Amino acid sequence: MTAVITTGATSVPTRSMRWKEPRRHLLFLAGVLVLWQLGNLALGQLVLPSVPSVFKALLEITLSGALIKAMGESILLLFLGLSAALAIGFFFGVLIGRSKLAQWTLSPYFSALFVTPTVALVPLVLVWFGFGLSGRVLVVILAAVVPIMLSVAGSLRDEPGELVEVARSFGVRGEIALLVHVRLRAALPVILSGFRLAVGRAVVGMAVAETYLRLGGIGALINSYGALFQTDYVFASILPLTFLGIGLTKLVSRVERHFQGWQS
Amino acid sequence: MPSEINTPNKLELKNIHKSFPTVVKGHAGRTQILAGVDLVVKANEFLTIIGPSGCGKTTLLRIIASLLPADSGEVLVDGKPVTEPSAERAMVFQSFGLFPWKTVLDNVRFPLGIRNVPPREATEIAMTYLRKVGLEKSASAHPHQLSGGMQQRVGLARALATEPEVLLMDEPFGAIDAQTRELMQEELMRLWQETRNTVIFVTHDLDEAVLLADRVVLMSPGPGHVRKLVSVDLPRPRWGYDVRAHEQFAPLRAELWQALRGDLLQGSAAG
Ligand SMILES: Nc1ncnc2c1ncn2[C@@H]1O[C@H](COP(=O)(O)OP(=O)(O)O)[C@@H](O)[C@H]1O
Ligand SMILES: [Mg+2]
Repeated sequence: MTAVITTGATSVPTRSMRWKEPRRHLLFLAGVLVLWQLGNLALGQLVLPSVPSVFKALLEITLSGALIKAMGESILLLFLGLSAALAIGFFFGVLIGRSKLAQWTLSPYFSALFVTPTVALVPLVLVWFGFGLSGRVLVVILAAVVPIMLSVAGSLRDEPGELVEVARSFGVRGEIALLVHVRLRAALPVILSGFRLAVGRAVVGMAVAETYLRLGGIGALINSYGALFQTDYVFASILPLTFLGIGLTKLVSRVERHFQGWQS
Repeated sequence: MPSEINTPNKLELKNIHKSFPTVVKGHAGRTQILAGVDLVVKANEFLTIIGPSGCGKTTLLRIIASLLPADSGEVLVDGKPVTEPSAERAMVFQSFGLFPWKTVLDNVRFPLGIRNVPPREATEIAMTYLRKVGLEKSASAHPHQLSGGMQQRVGLARALATEPEVLLMDEPFGAIDAQTRELMQEELMRLWQETRNTVIFVTHDLDEAVLLADRVVLMSPGPGHVRKLVSVDLPRPRWGYDVRAHEQFAPLRAELWQALRGDLLQGSAAG
């Protein structure tokens, strides 16, 4: 017997490779900071605050606890909104992916939602839900739900080859069991990349909700410093938001890679 | 020999008809694929089905597996009509049909899980069958890490793991290179000698059909039906000697080829 197991193309990164990329990033970052500082000299402190003043502001709002509190609020909002978007997106994704009727009737509205800027929906949400948490969560849902729905629906529409038939032949019965055993599992990589997109949009939705609906979280921090023209503090508040978005997206990518391990 | 008169019938096909909806020149109609297929398969019999491509072999197998309903006619297992798919009629698929996200072990455990076999027991059974096909060392690999021959061994282990009464194989070695195929034919013979389930094996390879079979069914197209049944009495076990060199082999092959050739010529003239 020829027991040749060819290991997949996922080669283990060598030590030098693992260090090369962060080093390149750091080098580039240093360049950006230098340019920033030059820009500060040219444009003035109000338009582009100096790098040290931004770091000072960051340090201050971190130590005072304002940043932590704001981040806590924002992350809670993000978590609630994304969870709900995931549930709703999944539900309608399965419906639209598996039923022609649902596809014809419902998908145009989701497409419309996808191209509508979330900010434009804020007045409506305000009328419907007022200033409460549910309204803010809804804004995050509206921002994030469509990519999840689209990826679920799209990946369920095309049959995963004969695998459904394989499962049926071994006695898997019923649409729901087939969804769980085969269709959704086969679709997982696509669904996760839809979720990654949704995370980015949810962060935007969160900032919109916290700025336009009711001041709170990081959005409030940015807004209130902006009103006082304290641009160094505005930058100090935006940076954590950016890192939150990057961090979450990276996290989903990590999960994505884990579930794509079997693909050659 | 399994073709003894007093061996019970395992599987009976009674007057199976099947058509598929088709659109010809804008007109919706139905194309008859199978018309009046009758077949009796004895318990422990190894039956091979051969016929030109498109004559409905896969369709027939899917009907036997209850993956597809027949328009009319019956499939009987042990005299009782069957309508729902079940691991008792286990399939081995031409393109292997392994779940790419599952390990080899989990693929073989899959039908056992569906039947609510406790996990530890399922693992034990799955490992037993992986050992039988010589793949116990690859249990934790994923299908894409294996060669085609190895993947089909996994497919075979998975089908056998539930100890099916009837094993349905749809051109299982069709996608496998010639040398590996010969090895796998022998392995299948050995396994079958051990398990002795009833096997229906579809192939487009005439040598393979004769080599493995107790009986060869020749199907003809237009619409698909059983054209000819040929018993193969070559001595078993059919390894350890050159079956193709046996004096009975060439006449059998010639008899089948004569019939098959006509269908193939007609098919290529029509197509
Ligand atoms: N689900 C289906 N819908 C429509 N036509 C089908 C379907 N399945 C098979 N056919 C047609 O039935 C005929 C027989 O197919 P098949 O059973 O796969 O033949 P074979 O396995 O002998 O090559 C072919 O012409 C094929 O196009
Ligand atoms: Mg076929």
